Amino acid sequence: MNTTVSIFIVILLITLGITYWAARRTKTTSDFFAADSQLTAPQNGFALAGDWCSAAAFLGFSGLTALYGMDGALYALGPLVAFCTVLFLIAEPLRNCGKYTLGDVVRSRMQTRTSLLAVIAGTVVVNFAYLMPQMAGAGVLVRLLTGISYDWAVLFVGVSMIVYVAFGGMLATTWVQIVKAVLMLAAGALILLLALSMVKFNPLTFFDDAEKRYGAQYLLPGNYLKNPFDQISLGLGYVLGLAGLPHVMTRFYTVPDAKAARRSVVWVMFLAGAFFVGTTLFGLAAANLLGQDVIRAADKGGNLTLPLLAQYLGGGKGTFGGDLMLGFVVAVAIATILAVVSGLTLSTSGAIAHDFYVNWVKQGEVKHEVWVARIAAIAIGVLAIGLGILAQGVNVAVLVILAICVAASANFPVLILSLFWRRFNTGGVIGGMAVGLVSSVVLAMIGPAMRGANALWPLVNPTVVSLPLGFLGAYLGTLLYGRDLENERRFDDFSLQVHSGIARK
Amino acid sequence: MTPDARSLEAAHAAIRELIAAKLKYLVPMTITFMVSYIGLTVLAGFAKSLLGTQVTGAFNLGFFLITFNYVLSWVLAIIYVRVADSVFDPMVRKAAATITSVGTST
Repeated sequence: MNTTVSIFIVILLITLGITYWAARRTKTTSDFFAADSQLTAPQNGFALAGDWCSAAAFLGFSGLTALYGMDGALYALGPLVAFCTVLFLIAEPLRNCGKYTLGDVVRSRMQTRTSLLAVIAGTVVVNFAYLMPQMAGAGVLVRLLTGISYDWAVLFVGVSMIVYVAFGGMLATTWVQIVKAVLMLAAGALILLLALSMVKFNPLTFFDDAEKRYGAQYLLPGNYLKNPFDQISLGLGYVLGLAGLPHVMTRFYTVPDAKAARRSVVWVMFLAGAFFVGTTLFGLAAANLLGQDVIRAADKGGNLTLPLLAQYLGGGKGTFGGDLMLGFVVAVAIATILAVVSGLTLSTSGAIAHDFYVNWVKQGEVKHEVWVARIAAIAIGVLAIGLGILAQGVNVAVLVILAICVAASANFPVLILSLFWRRFNTGGVIGGMAVGLVSSVVLAMIGPAMRGANALWPLVNPTVVSLPLGFLGAYLGTLLYGRDLENERRFDDFSLQVHSGIARK
Repeated sequence: MTPDARSLEAAHAAIRELIAAKLKYLVPMTITFMVSYIGLTVLAGFAKSLLGTQVTGAFNLGFFLITFNYVLSWVLAIIYVRVADSVFDPMVRKAAATITSVGTST
């Protein structure tokens, strides 16, 4: 435990050092929201990996594989495939036509205040639905790993993220994410190397051993997601939802141009993708080496699989190597949470300060936007701490599903149709956002994740239904609103900007 | 800058060509990964025992397809970057070059 606490303090000192350095370089609004768009593609690629891999990915995927076999591997694959959608359709257009937020894209397309308000709603709902379970998870995890109480752990994580974001803006957030990604990949590589050394570097042995111990059923799908439609919802939610997650998409504003945005996606696909492959092997290795009973005894959700595996491979409990490896993985887990909540706070601050206050309330006329953004970040952080503390003991898993589901069913249709459909109009933005949001929230709330056996509807993850509904809402909204000829005429200029970055001003 | 209206019209036409070129590459590529990945989730939901078909040892068809999807995503990403660099970017430069300004520019 002492190793854990000391590594923990080292991480804290490093990230605060980064924030001090970044704060001195963060003066303008563009510095604050987009690191002045001066990052390189590899830097942004690492930061994307740090931003996208939450604790659910770092700890959860290995745990799911260890306890449920193939479903864990399916869980880990989606987050990589999702970047194909982002690379082909979203990253470059976003970089070309926006400035700091998803709201920018819709605002520059529609030029109406109502459509901006709809996108702000989508961003804030998704971000808070994502942020709250991260805070609650942080509380549980930090308590589990270091012995600090839940409330203090939430407070500690919340205050850290407020400090990074309010003082250091995007630059500090980025470097916290880069440090986390480097640590995560180093930990992953080390564990993989040690685990493979146990099986003479033949990963197929993991599969054979697992089948011998747990039977063929373990290596089949459906052990975790029983309902077939939940498998499909999970897949759709990932491949289309990532593009609607504001905290990941705003990272594309940190590079100078579309070409760098393109390259940063390829970086994250290889960095994060390699880690996701690793999680499947970690899970199988842990099931073989530690056994599911030991994993379940430590945490029934399997979230301590990776730390336990690291400890085992380092030499076991009580040995110097074992303690060191455990401390290392715990430190990465904490860095992971800090990196993700910082990204979420920053992007929510963008929606509140840039989209809502500056562009909606003040209609673009405000001095000192950067100070509004800092104050917004502090307020969001305080709210997140409060919600995190209130969420203790509440089942927040449904919120993670909800975040991805709303991102896929409301934000994604609005974003993609804004970029590529000439007739799409303000009515469509409102229709898509409203139908996508409401159907996701209602279906998630009446499903088994929230109501258990009393569920009024069978799916944990409603994306397979709410996503088509979101598109339908966007389509019907467009038709009901009637032709917006001014907007359709502007589409040529907008397309010019979307595909080339040339703005007509 | 104030772009000359006729040159802007030419730029719009160049962008329409670019979009057509993008569709030519991106529609098949998008269909490929969507069919491959969503198809896998459909099989995982409805054809569980099929995915248990032995490939080598305990490594079954399901894990083979998962591995295949990783590789496919990486390969498509590299193809995309090569196409974007060699086909899309020159078309963007061409569109940008057609825009001329009226009077004193910038």
